[in-house]
Amino acid sequence: MANKRKGAAFGLTAGERVFEFVNTFILIVIGLMMLLPFLQMASKSFSGETAVLTGNVWFWPVDFQTGTYKYVLRESQFWSSLKVSVIVTILGTAGAMIITCLTAYPLSKTWLYGRKFFVFLFVFCMLFSGGMVPSYILMKAIGFVNTMKVLIIPGMLGIYNMILLKNFFEEIPEALEESAQLDGAGSLRTLISIVLPMSLPAIATIGLFYAVGYWDNYMTGLIYIQKPEYKPLQLYLYELVVETQHVDNAGNPKTMEALEDAALNTESIRSATIMLTCVPIMCVYPFLQKYFVKGLRVGSVKG
Amino acid sequence: MTVERRTMTLKEAKLSAKRSDRRQARYRLRRSLPLYVLLIPGLLMILVFHYLPMYGVVIGFKDYNIFAGANPIDAISVSPWVGLKFWNKLWIQSKFKQAITNTFIISAMKVVIGFPIPVILALMINEVRRTGTKRVLQTVMYLPHFISWVVVGALFMNLLGTSGIVNKIIVSMGGTTQKFFMDNKWFRWVLLLSSIWKESGWGTIVYLAAITGIDPALYEAARIDRANRFQQIWYVTLPGIAGTVVMMLILRLGGIMDAGFAQIQVMYNSTVYKSGDIIGTYVFREGLGKMNWSQGTIVGLFNSLINLILMFGGNYLSRRWTEKSIW
Repeated sequence: MANKRKGAAFGLTAGERVFEFVNTFILIVIGLMMLLPFLQMASKSFSGETAVLTGNVWFWPVDFQTGTYKYVLRESQFWSSLKVSVIVTILGTAGAMIITCLTAYPLSKTWLYGRKFFVFLFVFCMLFSGGMVPSYILMKAIGFVNTMKVLIIPGMLGIYNMILLKNFFEEIPEALEESAQLDGAGSLRTLISIVLPMSLPAIATIGLFYAVGYWDNYMTGLIYIQKPEYKPLQLYLYELVVETQHVDNAGNPKTMEALEDAALNTESIRSATIMLTCVPIMCVYPFLQKYFVKGLRVGSVKG
Repeated sequence: MTVERRTMTLKEAKLSAKRSDRRQARYRLRRSLPLYVLLIPGLLMILVFHYLPMYGVVIGFKDYNIFAGANPIDAISVSPWVGLKFWNKLWIQSKFKQAITNTFIISAMKVVIGFPIPVILALMINEVRRTGTKRVLQTVMYLPHFISWVVVGALFMNLLGTSGIVNKIIVSMGGTTQKFFMDNKWFRWVLLLSSIWKESGWGTIVYLAAITGIDPALYEAARIDRANRFQQIWYVTLPGIAGTVVMMLILRLGGIMDAGFAQIQVMYNSTVYKSGDIIGTYVFREGLGKMNWSQGTIVGLFNSLINLILMFGGNYLSRRWTEKSIW
């Protein structure tokens, strides 16, 4: 719409010019507020220990060093957690895409026998849940606790994502699929060779949602994982962050030594770890932005 | 083109509904069979990970002992029924009442103050004409949504901690250091601020999508009538997205029972239970952490039931006001 109004760009009145300047200025300030916390953290991670502890670091590193990063990269728990997170994100996203596409496709067909019933069956899961304790007991019973399975498998069908994709599929003209079916293609074949290639923006969007969801998830790990070898990166980070609070979550004040330990070695090291966990997302996300804006628009307008 | 097709299929559907003879149904069923095969994995997923735990809520009405049976699920049937014992026990626990109160207060703050912000931001972003600037602004503002709550928690502790830069500014202006994360006076505002920071930019995406659907001729007409930019926003853009705003608000109200479990679990500590302990964190700590299985289940059930009522209520309102159903 901005483009359509460009025709009038030459006839801007003085008032409009002021409006535009002020508006853009405010938005840039807001945008900076979104970036500054990252910049502060990054500056701390590259600053010398004393500068950090005396609180002299603002938005640029003081006494530039990279020792903190080297320290983090030497931590074996960091690497093992990174490995868990990478495996979980890749396997989880791949599995989730398969199951989500397989589920969304039949439900996108208005003529599907019993469609309303099936859609409701899925939507009801968004409305009502058994809760944390029954889920825990289930995972315990099927032997998922303290394994990587619990991090991967239960997340492989996001109902909201599935419905988004279903709405997108509904927009695809059915005539195309019918011609493929006349040529003898089965429903799976039609899905793969006709529907999916036409849904790339939606697929990319949902793929990104799943990948970010898996990568950012610490709750599942917090609830189900105690063994250090299966702790994902975000859980490792959670433990680092919570460690610095003056009382633990069970409410016991921490001993002086524990506090000093945390303060001494972590302030800038923690910053470095945090920056490192953000790197993959910051690398991937800007490139996918054009897809997800498109994919979301078609999928969500129908609501 | 697509609109045409949709009305066609709708007509077809109506027609076929009228002639809903058995043959038609049998034809549809036969045509659906291959699609049912594709549905199997998805159905299995929800059966195991959603519907089985729903059966598990009976734990709340039993005195559940996880070691009673051959395995934890078997233990459910072995454990004795106790009826409403744990339900009644809930209401004499001040911590539970506190968690409910906090859930509602924090959610209400997030709705009342947090909800309008993406609408305003979307209107502002829409007024930026340079596409390059617009794109960069959007990229930056969507970014926090993709960052985990652990990182966001750490970023805010870093900024608002006792030695963080916010406190440094306060002190340099003559104030006293504030313990934002350990002070019941501040804690809810910290939660509100960080959730606004994380989700406001992302929230604009729906409204920006709705704005693209507004007929440009309306702006032409408004300009011919010498409407300035504020008037164009007020009389054209805002009414154009009003339906979407109402629908998002209803959806938001349906989510009121989750005041931000993943967020608060990272940010809170025992000094701010009074203002920040919500149902999610309460169940995690008291149910799972202390292994009060039955008690934790009943709290979860209470939470789910209220959620269900809110969602159905919200959908009913949505259908009446915007003629759109959420499902």
